[in-house]
Amino acid sequence: MANVNWRTINVDALDPDSPANFDLSSLTPAVAPVATADVQALAGQIRQLMRGGDNEGALQGALENPPYGADDRGKEVHLAAVIEILQSIRQSDMSPILQRIYSAPGGSEALDVLMKYIYKGMAQSSTVSATRNITPQATGFSQIHSRGGGEGGGQAMSVLLSWHEKLVEIAGPGSIVRVMTDRRTV
Amino acid sequence: MSQSLRPYLQCVRSSLTAALSLSNFASQASERHNVPEIEAQSCPEVLLNPLTISRNENEKVFIEPSINSVRISIKIKQADEIENILVHKFTRFLNQRAEAFFILRRKAVKGYDISFLITNFHTEEMLKHKLVDFIIQFMEEVDKEISEMKLFLNARARFVAESFLTPFD
Amino acid sequence: MLLLDYQNVLIESLLKERFAGGPPVSIDQVVSDFDGVIFHISTPESKSKILVSISIKCFPELVQYGAQAVMEREYGPYIVAPESGYDFSVQVDLDSLPEDQESKDDLVRRVSLLKRNIMAAPFEQAFDEYHHLAEEASKYTSESAPQGVQEGGETRSIHYREEEAIYVKASHDRVTVIFSTVFREETDRIFGKVFLQEFVDARRRAIQNAPQVLFQNQPPLELEKVPGVNRSGSNDIGYITFVLFPRHLTAQRRAEVISHIQTFRDYFHYHIKASKAFIHSRMRKRTADFLQVLRRARPEAEEKERKTASGRTFRVQS
Repeated sequence: MANVNWRTINVDALDPDSPANFDLSSLTPAVAPVATADVQALAGQIRQLMRGGDNEGALQGALENPPYGADDRGKEVHLAAVIEILQSIRQSDMSPILQRIYSAPGGSEALDVLMKYIYKGMAQSSTVSATRNITPQATGFSQIHSRGGGEGGGQAMSVLLSWHEKLVEIAGPGSIVRVMTDRRTV
Repeated sequence: MSQSLRPYLQCVRSSLTAALSLSNFASQASERHNVPEIEAQSCPEVLLNPLTISRNENEKVFIEPSINSVRISIKIKQADEIENILVHKFTRFLNQRAEAFFILRRKAVKGYDISFLITNFHTEEMLKHKLVDFIIQFMEEVDKEISEMKLFLNARARFVAESFLTPFD
Repeated sequence: MLLLDYQNVLIESLLKERFAGGPPVSIDQVVSDFDGVIFHISTPESKSKILVSISIKCFPELVQYGAQAVMEREYGPYIVAPESGYDFSVQVDLDSLPEDQESKDDLVRRVSLLKRNIMAAPFEQAFDEYHHLAEEASKYTSESAPQGVQEGGETRSIHYREEEAIYVKASHDRVTVIFSTVFREETDRIFGKVFLQEFVDARRRAIQNAPQVLFQNQPPLELEKVPGVNRSGSNDIGYITFVLFPRHLTAQRRAEVISHIQTFRDYFHYHIKASKAFIHSRMRKRTADFLQVLRRARPEAEEKERKTASGRTFRVQS
């Protein structure tokens, strides 16, 4: 303790009444903890539906039961399932499916959940390989090669981006605001 | 505009529009202070969930919203060493002129090339949709500028090399 | 001005002016040139006698490679004892100039090429050596050639700058000129790489008869036995090899080739700097454009004049 620089200590962190120690759980609606095994079982069911060709049912099922209470591992399992469904739906089917989910009871909430997964999907691949890979300059005949195309994860991202676009058209910017403000994260 | 660029920018546009709902909010930590909460990070309850929008590994936008400020960080595409150095030079040049840009953050958030910080005072003074326009246009032009500079450099190098070697011919 | 001049323009214009006649004036000027070369032009004795001295970093090396002979040939009667602090001096007497204009111009040209001529010595020596080796080699078939002919002569190194050098080596079928160059900063290094890549490619693409150009960070094989070569292989140091083929080494072309290859290092760095300057001005312009866009976000101040029904103006109290 002798050589602690007292000036750098954040005293707010030590004060239980300080706003820095605000109890965030008081803002979060109570969510029941979910075991990873249950999430996995649900993901299995969703895949079952997908194999049966019922993409819409799979998506609906996945969005109605977001595992808010699961740990990181469980959330990731569910995210993977959702992304898988999103990727298996054709571009032309996106809007009609969204429209139907939206008009169903509780549809607005389901689309908010979908929005959360789209953002999470875009954030996720970035954390997996955050290492910068700058390819050394190719010593080919010409140095002018086109920029863009074929970069890592570009394909998966463009699927999510088109889902995002369609979703905003139907659910409106409010759903983005709800993603930012909802303390229940997926 | 390339096929995947449009939805990317569209996504940034709608996310920014949503994130730029800011209100005046005085600091809870110290009296008579009014600081951008996203920078102060002193009260967790006024910070919102950050959003990431990515087109691919090398092009991303990171939006960190809070009650009275939004931090927007952009990762500009860098395909090789040349683009890397050009992006570095350009962002450094811009950062040194941050004062003139009002919303430009002097230092980029780690992992990104350039950051903007928009507070409620900016949105009160300026038109919000025009601010969004600015960010979108910035993203478009930066890419274009970097490609053009790279093409210029290659063209000049080629011309210079040929001029030097021609007398030997 | 894309290519660099071989002569020193200041000396040239000054001498031209003096030679053209006009009242003699006293001169005392220090002129710098590329590679840390310094000229001193003065009239120490009388106004009609112009002394031009040069200080060059690698003079001892150049003498070793036959600079003295080259200078005797080029400047003969004009050579005087070197001024103190300088390596070599020539003196021109305005009162005993050649009669006709042509030889006057020739003299101006020679003096202004002082740096080029001094630096040319090792190149000339190497070119001569090549001719000698080529003759030797032509006596043998490729198998029976003695070792010395195969490998070529010694490598001449000219440390013409603080950390950079030129190496010249003759063989029986070529003369190799290697420049070592240091990149002071990352940007220079990468820009340099782009430029050099184009030098390497230019021959394949457009100019088939140009010397072969190679670029690497490690010292090339030719420099294996040369002392004082930085072998760290660091990215900051580049080795650029020019391989001059017999077609470049003929008697009628050699003067031009020597002059031209000497300017390589300065030419190369000059264009790197020029590119940086251009890119900088581009960024300036682009930044101004961005500011313009941002300014649009500011609502225009409503300062409109309002009128009452009777036509009187009033202002809203803020």
